[in-house]
Amino acid sequence: MEVPGRLYVVATLLPLAAFVLLLAGGGVRAACRPYRREGGFCGTLYWVCGGDKPLRTGAYLATACMAAAAVLGVLGLVWFLDNPGVTGRWAERTDWVRVGPRDTAPPPVWEQQRAANPELPAPRTALALELGYKIDHLTAVAFAMVTVVGTLIFLFSIGYMRDEAEEVVEDHEVDRQASRERERPEDGPPVAHAPGSPGHFHRRGRFGRFFLYLSLFAFSMLNLLIADNLFQVFVSWELVGACSFFLIGFYYERPSASRAANKAFIVNRVGDAGFLVGILVAWTYCGTLNIEELTRRVRSPDHGVHGAKRDPAQYPDQLIRANPAEPYVDGTPKFALPPVKEFGTGSHLVLMPLAAEDPDHVHTPGYGPHRDSNFPVPARADLTTYGAIPYALFVVMGLGIFLGCVGKSAQVPLHTWLPDAMEGPTPVSALIHAATMVAAGVYLVGRCFPLFAPEVLLVVAYVGAVTLFVSATIALVQTDIKRILAYSTCSQLGFMMLALGVGGWVAGLLHLITHAFFKALLFLCAGSVIHGCHHEQDVRRMGGLRRKMPVTAFTMLVGVLAISGAPLFSGWYSKDQVLAAAAGYGLDHRRHLALFVLPLVTAALTAFYMFRLWFLTFAGPPRDADVHHHAHESPAVMTLPLIVLALFSVGVAWGWPLWDADASYLGHVLARAEPAAVAVEFAAERLTAHHYHLAVEAAALGLALLGAGVAWWYFGRRQPAAVELWRPGPGWYRFLAGKWYFDEAYDAALVRPTVALAKGAAAADKRSADGPTPPGAAEPPPRRFDLFTLDGLLNAVGQAFDAVGRVLRGAQTGRLRTYVAALALTAVVALGILTALAK
Amino acid sequence: MSELGLQPFMILSAFLFACGVVCVATKRNAVGVLMGVELILNAANVNLVAFARFSPTFRLDGQVFALLVVVLAAAEAAVALAIILNFYNNHATVDVDEADELKG
Repeated sequence: MEVPGRLYVVATLLPLAAFVLLLAGGGVRAACRPYRREGGFCGTLYWVCGGDKPLRTGAYLATACMAAAAVLGVLGLVWFLDNPGVTGRWAERTDWVRVGPRDTAPPPVWEQQRAANPELPAPRTALALELGYKIDHLTAVAFAMVTVVGTLIFLFSIGYMRDEAEEVVEDHEVDRQASRERERPEDGPPVAHAPGSPGHFHRRGRFGRFFLYLSLFAFSMLNLLIADNLFQVFVSWELVGACSFFLIGFYYERPSASRAANKAFIVNRVGDAGFLVGILVAWTYCGTLNIEELTRRVRSPDHGVHGAKRDPAQYPDQLIRANPAEPYVDGTPKFALPPVKEFGTGSHLVLMPLAAEDPDHVHTPGYGPHRDSNFPVPARADLTTYGAIPYALFVVMGLGIFLGCVGKSAQVPLHTWLPDAMEGPTPVSALIHAATMVAAGVYLVGRCFPLFAPEVLLVVAYVGAVTLFVSATIALVQTDIKRILAYSTCSQLGFMMLALGVGGWVAGLLHLITHAFFKALLFLCAGSVIHGCHHEQDVRRMGGLRRKMPVTAFTMLVGVLAISGAPLFSGWYSKDQVLAAAAGYGLDHRRHLALFVLPLVTAALTAFYMFRLWFLTFAGPPRDADVHHHAHESPAVMTLPLIVLALFSVGVAWGWPLWDADASYLGHVLARAEPAAVAVEFAAERLTAHHYHLAVEAAALGLALLGAGVAWWYFGRRQPAAVELWRPGPGWYRFLAGKWYFDEAYDAALVRPTVALAKGAAAADKRSADGPTPPGAAEPPPRRFDLFTLDGLLNAVGQAFDAVGRVLRGAQTGRLRTYVAALALTAVVALGILTALAK
Repeated sequence: MSELGLQPFMILSAFLFACGVVCVATKRNAVGVLMGVELILNAANVNLVAFARFSPTFRLDGQVFALLVVVLAAAEAAVALAIILNFYNNHATVDVDEADELKG
């Protein structure tokens, strides 16, 4: 292929093609439905597009497209690793919406470099929203991961969603929840029943629609991965959010599902608002949204993060973000800052000129070896010259982008939507809410790492640390199999954020990849268990399932071992690196020791809750004879993905030698995409991390063993009786089971005041016509509040004009002579005034 | 013939105008009012022609304007007389004080 990167574009568009085809098929079917009895062309079309019974063809089509994308993704990864090109990445971009004029004459420096190296892209200096892709080592790996995991989950869904392929589906959950709501009525519309079947909700199966959403999701996610600019990321970001909304609310007749979908969407909007703020700051001050250009623009070559002066000999060509504390050296601006007057006071970051820059960290006038040359600094900041961004706004930009990531990656305090999102079908939980979409936030933090000021990185680290600890403690006491996994996902995402925040860039993203595999595996195993137990999700009713479902039990054990950090399993490599990075930072900065202690403790908690889950589900004698009796192993279409994912969960991070966590091949691949800023900013911490690596490794392993041992002691050694599990626990237990009461706090602080305000506003305008008139009331009760406010204001305006009219009508007597006299007098007076003015 | 200045024409015009206004303001007969209006228009005509005579820039323009006013006055008289006739048909009088049905 002439441009190898287009392979990825094709792979991205494949699921979109499946989406469009499914959508068209469904649309034609719906349009032809009135003719289904009459036959003819339209009737035939109706039956071709599926007729009354949902077609399975759509699912096969979507899965085939996804599999093709996976083949392309893996091929692309191999090809890219083999030949990443001169620039170390494959990228193309094109204008989408142009805002300013194109700069017709690129600077001579650029032209020289382009003559020497034709692969360099042409400079773009005008404002434009762009479409583009950038494939580097991170993208290539993540792309392969998403497509492979996605294909396996599509395959699994064909088996899991089998019920939806029926003409009529009975959803008992709807009636169960509806009866519960009738007893304890809350807000929300009453559930509509199909006519003629009171108490039994029926609907058409939605097999095709499920794969329609999945395909759209896959496209958006892949687009998000390859996007080279923040705007494209934002569009995909919203698209995956919308797909997540559709899929959480897939069983939208259930009040709980529709509520969970709304919650996920609204909570994510909070994060997205921050993201938008970040994008706007970047657009306003940097004039571009291209991530690579942004990361190259915002920097200063003089200082590291912690104030240490950078050694130019050590990093001659790297471009490093500024330390704002000391923009001046020896009283003079060593590095050319724009005149301070022009930008107000306070510290600024220097924005580098875009046009005069090379695309690939090579020498520029005024930089590297040439930095003492007499390079003129223009007085005004515009797109093609130097600029500056106030440091406070730079922090705001980083915090804004990170807030988006907090929402999407379900970090505290916006994590509450993820456990509720488990209302969706289990393959959705696996694909979207464990493996890929929630990882998008971590991915973006990794991508935008150089845009994050040290303060922002500290926030990232602390948010990650708090999240990983809080969600792990909640996961300890949950009893719903999917919710345990959901909190575990939050916790693991916290590990990734923490790693990124403390400079473990490779560690965080390696954990992202390995976690995607083993968490998808765990969720699909949970799905298999739920499917086999006829939609029973409470682990307290399970037990002893390992004999009934040996493949599921075994593969899930692999997943449990991987997430707990058992040596040689993929999770061990990544978690080990995360902990080492955290140790490096925590030990170097003793004030932030919590950043090391929390993940270490959580490593034990993780092992505990995962083994608790496994023991309760699979080990011991069955606790619920009914569930156990009907349980069965899932069909091959579901177990095959489990086995494949289990293999990945073991070996995806292997390298040689196997026992060295730092030797992970995947880690080395990712390390090639690491921004230069990481190594420079966290040089000292890395040394510390390296120094204590073995000790941390041993401590983590010991703690994980301890956690697993405690789990075995309580749940594995002898199965607790069912009664014990149902007994309400002590206070701390209830606190954890209540999820630290985040939902209650939000409810009290935000939801209820809003609802109360809305109800008050409605009551203020309540009129008799709006509601039933009480029987026997002679006249309707008067409008209360609004008569004097909004309505009153508008009425007052009308009344004022009415009064003015009443006064003025007196002037119109109907007598011609009065008019003429008035006319003549007015003319005389006007003339008099004019004469007086003329003098 | 001794040269007359602009002033006598202005005085004549003002006198005519004043007469017209007084006529319009005092007459109760609608036809009388109409005659007052004609006086006002002719006061304007005198002005126009006089300015044209004494201004170096208005050579012909003023007289053309005056002709236009004469024609317009004729048209106006026709319309006004039609209105008066109709009013008389309806009210059996031409007293303008009776025509007050549109007052506020």
